[in-house]
Amino acid sequence: MRKSAFYPKLAVQNIRRNKQFYLPFILTCIATTAMFYIMCFLAYNPATEGLHEALYFIMQLGCIVVGFFSAIFLFYTNSFLMKRRQKELGLYNILGMGKGNIAGVLFFETLYVTLITLVCGIALGILLSKLTLLVLCKLIAFSVPYGFEISIKGILYSVYLFCGIFLVILISNLVRIKLSKPIELLRGGNVGEKEPKTKWILAILGVLALGAGYWIAIVTDAPLQAILLFFVAVLLVIIGTYLLFTASSIAILKRLRSRPNYYYTTRHFIPVSGMIYRMKQNAVGLANICILATMVLVMVSGTVCLYLGTADSLKNSFPTELIVTVSAPTGSARDDFRSAIDKSVTDSGLEMSNITDFYSLSFSTKLENADFGDTLHAYTNQTDNSNVYLLPASEYGRMLGETITLSPNEAFIYADNSQLDGSFSLLGTDYKITRELVSFPAISKQATLIPYRFIIVVADDSFTEICGAQTLVAPDWYYGFDLSGTSAQKIACCDAMESAMGNTAISSGSYDYTHIASIDAGKTDVYAMNGGFLFLGLFLGLIFLIATVLIIYYKQLSEGYDDKERFEIMQKVGLSRPEIKKAIRSQVLVVFFLPLGMAVVHIAFAFKMITKLLLIFNLTNVTLFAVCTLATVAVFALIYGVVYMLTAKIYYKIVS
Amino acid sequence: MTLLEVKNLKKTYATRFGNVKVQALTNVNFTAEKGEYIAIMGESGSGKTTLLNILATLDRPTGGEVVLEGKSTLLIPERDLASFRRDNLGFVFQDFNLLDTFSLRDNIFLPLVLAGKGHKEMSERIIPISYRLGITDILDKFPYEISGGQKQRCAIARALITNPRIILADEPTGALDSHSADALLEVFKDINSSGQTILMVTHSVKAASNAGRVLFLRDGEIFNQLYRGERTNDEMFGVISDTLTAMATGGDKNA
Repeated sequence: MRKSAFYPKLAVQNIRRNKQFYLPFILTCIATTAMFYIMCFLAYNPATEGLHEALYFIMQLGCIVVGFFSAIFLFYTNSFLMKRRQKELGLYNILGMGKGNIAGVLFFETLYVTLITLVCGIALGILLSKLTLLVLCKLIAFSVPYGFEISIKGILYSVYLFCGIFLVILISNLVRIKLSKPIELLRGGNVGEKEPKTKWILAILGVLALGAGYWIAIVTDAPLQAILLFFVAVLLVIIGTYLLFTASSIAILKRLRSRPNYYYTTRHFIPVSGMIYRMKQNAVGLANICILATMVLVMVSGTVCLYLGTADSLKNSFPTELIVTVSAPTGSARDDFRSAIDKSVTDSGLEMSNITDFYSLSFSTKLENADFGDTLHAYTNQTDNSNVYLLPASEYGRMLGETITLSPNEAFIYADNSQLDGSFSLLGTDYKITRELVSFPAISKQATLIPYRFIIVVADDSFTEICGAQTLVAPDWYYGFDLSGTSAQKIACCDAMESAMGNTAISSGSYDYTHIASIDAGKTDVYAMNGGFLFLGLFLGLIFLIATVLIIYYKQLSEGYDDKERFEIMQKVGLSRPEIKKAIRSQVLVVFFLPLGMAVVHIAFAFKMITKLLLIFNLTNVTLFAVCTLATVAVFALIYGVVYMLTAKIYYKIVS
Repeated sequence: MTLLEVKNLKKTYATRFGNVKVQALTNVNFTAEKGEYIAIMGESGSGKTTLLNILATLDRPTGGEVVLEGKSTLLIPERDLASFRRDNLGFVFQDFNLLDTFSLRDNIFLPLVLAGKGHKEMSERIIPISYRLGITDILDKFPYEISGGQKQRCAIARALITNPRIILADEPTGALDSHSADALLEVFKDINSSGQTILMVTHSVKAASNAGRVLFLRDGEIFNQLYRGERTNDEMFGVISDTLTAMATGGDKNA
């Protein structure tokens, strides 16, 4: 037999014979390659490049995430595969194949897998890319570009990435073979049946880390703070999950075992002892599943909610469809601007409604002991600061249509999330609160990142005094209204308004800063972004789901082989088949649904924090998010359940 | 009193595709009295393991029956077989078949736990047995921490703790060194002398020479049997060896 033909032949045979392990691995490789190609296709396609800038960025981010995840995931699955094959490779070694020969066979195996993966994966990716593009365009409310395209860049990147991944996998396998002794290879999976020790410190640390993560998630109130703390909490929960599964579970099980009246019963005897060992071997796998499941759930529910709530969030950032602001209008400028705006609206044949018109000084400052301090800032990103709108009494009276008289040291106040007790001071002057306002027309909903918001009404003289006493902020004129007509008409009207205002600014000789914000112009941006996020959420969710399913499959398979012997012995000692089935079922059920249950608990604790994060996107609808989360959990649990039933069947087949 | 009757036992195996039939047991007949210590000998392929599996109700015969205390095991419904095994039979295997996930104590408790006995009763039962087998000090160890001889004694304790009608042993000394094997045979002798019926399948002449009666199995039939009578172990050893030689060289029955 010629040696050169021997390796490739044996490699093919090996892949075929190990198809129970290899087939899911290859399928996963193909799926990840296809998904990576599609992601690249979307990110680097001229058709999509034109769609939207934000989208382009999101897709590139997606490429990196998918690529990174593919690498980790394939590496993990490979180590699983190799562990199961150790015995086989050891046998080759003992039968006279040198390590060099084994390396040769492994090289060809990897080569074949790489070829199959790249060809099938990219082909599948190309086939599905158009469909994905359709879905994406539908989500972001764009028209679908015509034609069918193949992304050369996508193909190249996929080839680079996956050749790289497989090369690293091959090298790690060769190193593993090089370092091993044949007798160890032969024993393979059977080593390490020793009873795990209880690691109390780790067990307690796990509970503490998880508790701390949960605590942060519950206590955090401010949205901007939430972003940073969210990552801290996520990290703590991940650490906590790993420790909980590896150390705490064993500590708990051992505690159960030390109670004879609980332990020595038919219902608990086999499961408890079995679980101790199972947790030792599979704790990391279970923790992985739990974390992946949590990620899928958070990502999908978050992005679905964001997408469904787009209309809501637009409404929150735009109390009226159009908001015009002019900073520091002097003299008659305010009236000039108003009539220019009103004229362009009338000229466009549209009508205004729901008008809010007021003049105020808006600033940020830190409130301490009922004192707003001495310095007023135009803008803040400090979450413990307060946003204040200061109005003169005459403006507020005009808005309400009544006359309001306030003495110099008196004020009306409207406060979000904060209580002031009777009085406050501002720029060194004390004010007595004579009325607490229940509502204010222009700012309908609390949707801003800064949780503390005040509207203060003071006497006209005091207002002028405050405006003059500092230089950092100048008063604004706020003019908000809804428009009749179609979206296109509104956008046209906006454009007309903009040029009219420009002319007014020139003719009045002032250089005031003017700004027009329109809900219809904002809509495209927000939909492109939220649609992009949803797409990415679903896409990554799908990949993580595949990963979860594969890990479960391999786990069931390896556990099946481990448990086979145990159950054979028990049958001889007097355990009937139904009893064995019952014992297996209870164990498998626990192992299977523990990660899911844990993931749901994680979600429950993360819920409040995620609602805070959604506030950043101006989303306040907690009910919507609750519904999205529940629906996502339900769908995920259903898929998980189906996978469970399928893999449990394989498990039973191996065991019996 | 007759404890076990084996009548006209036959077992035919079909190969996977059903075209070749292998007759493992052609016709086996014997009875065992209560308190007997019987060894069954035979070469590989003589049907020893098949016979033991049928006695253990792990396998069903093609013909004939096994009667334990006047009741045919064939009449026991499938779902009751496990509890029948648990209550009436004790098993000792060549490779011990202890579960690595249990301590020795838990391994010994296993059949009792399956039978739904209370913890108090189990703890009471294990004391005399473990004392007698000399494993009291290692009860809290795990199977991978002890020697083969200790493992086999633990397996015997597991077989004894249910007070079985009969102990079925499959090559109990097969995986032990000669010293441990001798010690184990002493244990068997000891428990037999206290009234326990033992049926042992073995290759080892040494092991068989401890028994009160030796059955020789060849080609699926009882070829011969030997009673100890007043013979010592050494004399038994000689007679068994002679019989085996005679069987191997093709001597006729009752040689």
